[in-house]
Amino acid sequence: MNRRQFIMTSLGTGLGLSLGITLYPVVTATKASQLTAAEMVFDAFLPALLMGALPADNQLAQQQLLATRKAAIEFLPFLPLTQQQQLSQLFLLLEQELTRLALTGNWLSLNELPVQTRLGLLSAWRDSYLALLQQAYCGLRELLFAAYYGQPPHWAALNYQAVEFNRYG
Amino acid sequence: MDDPIRQGLARGWKHIDAATLSKDEQYEADIVIVGTGAGGGLAAEILTQAGFSVIMLEHGALNSSSDFKQQERWAYPHLYQDGAGRKTKDQGIAILQGRTVGGSTTVNWTTSIRTPKNTLGYWREHFGLDFSGDNSLEPFFDLASGRLNISQWHMSPNLNNLALKNGCEKLGWQYTIIHRNVNGCANLGLCGMGCPINAKQSMLVTTIPTALDGGATLISRISARNFEWQGDKIQALHAVPVDEHYQPRQGVNITVKARHYIAAGGAINTPALLLRSKVPNPSGRLGKHTYLHPSLISGALFAEPINGHAGAPQSVYSDQFVWPESDNMGFKLEVPPVHPVLMATKLIGMAEQHAHLMKQFNNLQVMIALLRDGFAEQAQGGTVELDSNGEPQLDYPLTDYLFAGAREALLAMAELQFAAGAKAVMPIHADGQLYKSWPEAKAAIMALPMAIYRTTLASAHVMGGCNMAMDASKGVVDMQGRHHQLKNLSVFDGSTLPTSLGANPQLTIYGLVWRNSTLLANWLHGNQ
Ligand SMILES: Cc1cc2nc3c(=O)[nH]c(=O)nc-3n(C[C@H](O)[C@H](O)[C@H](O)COP(=O)(O)OP(=O)(O)OC[C@H]3O[C@@H](n4cnc5c(N)ncnc54)[C@H](O)[C@@H]3O)c2cc1C
Ligand code: SF4
Repeated sequence: MNRRQFIMTSLGTGLGLSLGITLYPVVTATKASQLTAAEMVFDAFLPALLMGALPADNQLAQQQLLATRKAAIEFLPFLPLTQQQQLSQLFLLLEQELTRLALTGNWLSLNELPVQTRLGLLSAWRDSYLALLQQAYCGLRELLFAAYYGQPPHWAALNYQAVEFNRYG
Repeated sequence: MDDPIRQGLARGWKHIDAATLSKDEQYEADIVIVGTGAGGGLAAEILTQAGFSVIMLEHGALNSSSDFKQQERWAYPHLYQDGAGRKTKDQGIAILQGRTVGGSTTVNWTTSIRTPKNTLGYWREHFGLDFSGDNSLEPFFDLASGRLNISQWHMSPNLNNLALKNGCEKLGWQYTIIHRNVNGCANLGLCGMGCPINAKQSMLVTTIPTALDGGATLISRISARNFEWQGDKIQALHAVPVDEHYQPRQGVNITVKARHYIAAGGAINTPALLLRSKVPNPSGRLGKHTYLHPSLISGALFAEPINGHAGAPQSVYSDQFVWPESDNMGFKLEVPPVHPVLMATKLIGMAEQHAHLMKQFNNLQVMIALLRDGFAEQAQGGTVELDSNGEPQLDYPLTDYLFAGAREALLAMAELQFAAGAKAVMPIHADGQLYKSWPEAKAAIMALPMAIYRTTLASAHVMGGCNMAMDASKGVVDMQGRHHQLKNLSVFDGSTLPTSLGANPQLTIYGLVWRNSTLLANWLHGNQ
């Protein structure tokens, strides 16, 4: 078995089982080359951050990931310009870091990075001595969780219902 | 559902949505007010009724009960500063402030508390501000209470608040049933997204409509950029429209001229406006000493559902620890409303751990402890600076003193939650876990590393940065909110507070602004 097959197998058994989904549905929906750095970064981290929250049904999980990425992207312009500038620099850096990781790990592309590697990266930032990385962890986590849990279709497991006086959208 | 805003607009209110303007404009009035929150909204009513022509400028949009969507994904970007993404400069503290007509009062949680005696005593001693006798704020608190229908909450607290009450009773700790500014509240728990039935007596549905009915003009979606001044007088205010994401837009310039100018953009934003204007600042205090009531959070799992999203968000508080005998940092205990985004972003962990906690959403009881900053030497708050776009950043250093208070606060909340019957308690801290008993939680919290990014801190109370003081060397404005150097400038908002309060700020601001608007009206009449 070559390295790639080995990884795919381990994904299929270990992570695939625990997640119940194919891991990288978002990236397959759009050509990677057409994605912005922000989208690449969101796609890389969303399946990891949302492990355990995404539904078992593969198609549903894909929909939720796409909707979350879209919500996160749509939220960014509401942030102050300076924060937006800092974030776009961060996304570029992270995209490079992820690509580097993928290359050194011999994965064919970014979307094959095992979910544990992605989680490991996030934990490393959280526990880093560098304020910048800790901020990246907190910021990304908050942005993506807000984008996910802001959406009524994702409240099923929470059993939360908002009284609706005026329809959203 | 009656919508007083839509009805008023149909009656012919003067409202200009600056975002729709395509060429430069100039306006003139007796008085221009920047910001329509607790301070600006109340001042607009009092000054209009005193016979002055008033123009109100508001960065946010004119949203009303017909516009409010009962979802956080709508409310945060449209009703909050920076889409509720405002943070201190090093991102150690998350800050909630309103940005819509009515300011933070449109989204606040309706807790109404008079300024604590200890706080007033501190101001007298350190800033020469004597609010006693003829200068007492009590008559103005009475007026504000009447105007905004402030009274003690008469329904039973929701289970989130009840846990606070029960825990206090068990431990023999002080607690108080909260007074709220509501009229016909249906106990919905949606205050933070704008009250859908206009029960909350925010500035949006009380004073601003009266001002508009009295002939005032409201310009929304406009950002006041700077005052033009010479000698001891302001000559004009310069502003620009904002775009659909509330970002200041170049290309259209709006000038407003008035006899008197009132800055009421709230703490952080009012100091920023004055910093951009480079107004005289001999005390060196402009933007400095900005306080946050930095707040710790503690989650608790209960066997039965708590449903912290339903019911009046705040109805009980405890002052057991606000004024400790020691020099330690005091803190007030309250609970927040619990909605999915607020919860998900504040809860610790990620992946399975986070998802597991979120699944117990309805069984989570959440407590907050608000640290009383601004009193001790080691808690002198933060400094507002301008970034390269002229927007404010609050540099708020987190001191060891503050972290010592934070640890005590986490301990008190855990003890209280167990006393109230929690099965497990989890301090909101990157290294925190669910602890099954008070001794276990106590030992763990004692060992938690108290540090930035690990200890979650948030604020919904921003105060100071243009502090009042009798002596011009100790403050930016005087006891009447009048700028010490610029004669036709007043600051009527939370930025004038010389310390944090140790209590939720809105009623203090109403009392001060009622007093100071009345004094200003008399002075302007006398000077005509
Ligand atoms: C979620 C939340 C819950 C809260 N709960 C409570 C509570 O239960 N009880 C309590 O006492 N307090 C509460 N508060 C705090 C309280 O509402 C505020 O302290 C109070 O409203 C502050 O009044 P203010 O006049 O200083 O500013 P704000 O009410 O914040 O109003 C300032 C307004 O000025 C506008 N503005 C700023 N700069 C400019 C500019 N340059 N140009 C044009 N417009 C500008 C802003 O957009 C904003 O609308 C809460 C706050 C929040 C955010
Ligand atoms: S609890 Fe509901 S009805 Fe009552 S004031 Fe808040 S939002 Fe309005």
